[in-house]
Amino acid sequence: MAREYDTFVLEDPASVPEDQELELVVRELTPDDRRYKYRSFYAKALISKSESKYSDILKVRLGRGQLLDTPWSIELIKEVSKF
Amino acid sequence: MSTYRRLAVGMGMNPNATIPEIADEYVRRTQEKPIPPVMVDATDAPCKENILLGDDANLFHLPGPMVHEGDGGRYLATWHFVVAKDPDTRAINWGMYRIMVFDEKTMVGPVLPFSDMGKMFHGKHVPRNEPMPFAVVLAADPLSSIASCAPSQIPEDQLAGMLHGEPVELVKCETCDLEVPAHAEIIIEGEIHPSVSILEAPFGEYTGYRTSPRDPRTVYRIKAITHRNNPMIMVSNPGIPTDENQLLRSFSLGLEMRKLLESQGIPITGVYMMPESTHHMVVVGVKHAYSGIASQIANLAFGSKLGPWFHMIVVVDDKTDIYNKDEVIHALSTKCHPIRGIRKYENDIGTPLNPYASPEERKMGVGAKVLFDCLFPLDWPTSDLPLKVAFSTNYPKDIQEKVLSNWENYGYKN
Ligand SMILES: Cc1cc2nc3c(=O)[nH]c(=O)nc-3n(C[C@H](O)[C@H](O)[C@H](O)COP(=O)(O)O)c2cc1C
Ligand SMILES: [Mn+2]
Repeated sequence: MAREYDTFVLEDPASVPEDQELELVVRELTPDDRRYKYRSFYAKALISKSESKYSDILKVRLGRGQLLDTPWSIELIKEVSKF
Repeated sequence: MSTYRRLAVGMGMNPNATIPEIADEYVRRTQEKPIPPVMVDATDAPCKENILLGDDANLFHLPGPMVHEGDGGRYLATWHFVVAKDPDTRAINWGMYRIMVFDEKTMVGPVLPFSDMGKMFHGKHVPRNEPMPFAVVLAADPLSSIASCAPSQIPEDQLAGMLHGEPVELVKCETCDLEVPAHAEIIIEGEIHPSVSILEAPFGEYTGYRTSPRDPRTVYRIKAITHRNNPMIMVSNPGIPTDENQLLRSFSLGLEMRKLLESQGIPITGVYMMPESTHHMVVVGVKHAYSGIASQIANLAFGSKLGPWFHMIVVVDDKTDIYNKDEVIHALSTKCHPIRGIRKYENDIGTPLNPYASPEERKMGVGAKVLFDCLFPLDWPTSDLPLKVAFSTNYPKDIQEKVLSNWENYGYKN
């Protein structure tokens, strides 16, 4: 099963680059232990605006929480610790 | 705590107490001698019934709620306070600064630079690159919570004692040199990171909007959680008026302003911050003793510690009932000259939460202020002074009484 994440896109979604390594904050929507829902982490990842390109689903929210109708997809490369 | 009735109960007063009665009681208690806290042993402190350290101190073992769909994260701390000490003076501060859960060990929230903790953290810890110990108190008693979000100069542990009329009981933290209320439900201890910031927000805020941007904010790294058996958390769910954010902050902002104006000898009759304005608009009643009195009031209030949090002052005369919205709107729309009665303050202090501010102004915490002076100028000749026309002022007493006593006989409902 594809895992689901979401992220906040603060700029124009059209300007977000696809298929190249980005650093972004994502939130877990389908954790194994449901107490961890919305756990956030910084990640290096590839994203596509096509829902089917990468293995996991990426839901997208704008700056004030507005959810875009169609999800994107994401491939996580690694979690990045800030500490 | 979103009604005056509940506030009265929290203050230990008659639930039917009027707003002026509750206000007078707050002013009385907060002007007496400060009441310092007392220390108790951990064995007498319910908040120590469970002590979780290391990996056991995990934020996902607490039920931090997604307060509104679309918020930037789960906000564990929305009706709580953060305990900290000034690194130089060791002065204690309790402040209610919202906090979002990021991961197992990390929380994040805005600590605005003009807040007391902001001055300690951004002004002292950050330049010295030293972590700042903190303790988050989740679910304390109502009066300690009110003290922690009141814009008072008195250290809040003493202010809480004054509101209670007796000392609050504190207990030592497990991992740092801080003290927390012994009877709280949950305590989270740790250090605020001096150099890393991470993204926080958006959040449904007290203004009734999601306004402040998702931005890098202050990072709390946790070391310990202690809690009562079967603990509770308290949550404030901000939105359009009126909830406890707006009501309790309006209450204390208005009354701290009243004390400030009275301390300067200004002949005010009262101050009422309207909760429906999300504590952005305050009404001040004053005896029009001299010209410029409305400006003097506005300059003081906007220039004080309260300044960042509100931006509209309506000054009315001593005959206007400041608690009566109809009377205030009548005064504002008839007595305030659309040009001479309005005084604007540009490039003033603000917060990222102001819906009226531009995105740039929000980022920089820039705001603006406005005074609505609803006093007729003192130099207008008496015969040119508009005279208020009302049932209570323009009919002889005996006619008033006759009409009132016959009201239902005329076929009208009372
Ligand atoms: C529910 C709630 C949340 C608040 N969140 C914040 C916040 O995130 N950051 C902040 O600087 N002030 C926040 N405030 C305002 C402060 O609590 C208030 O300014 C208080 O007087 C701060 O104490 P201080 O004077 O010791 O700084 C909040 C108030 C309430 C009621
Ligand atoms: Mn303070």
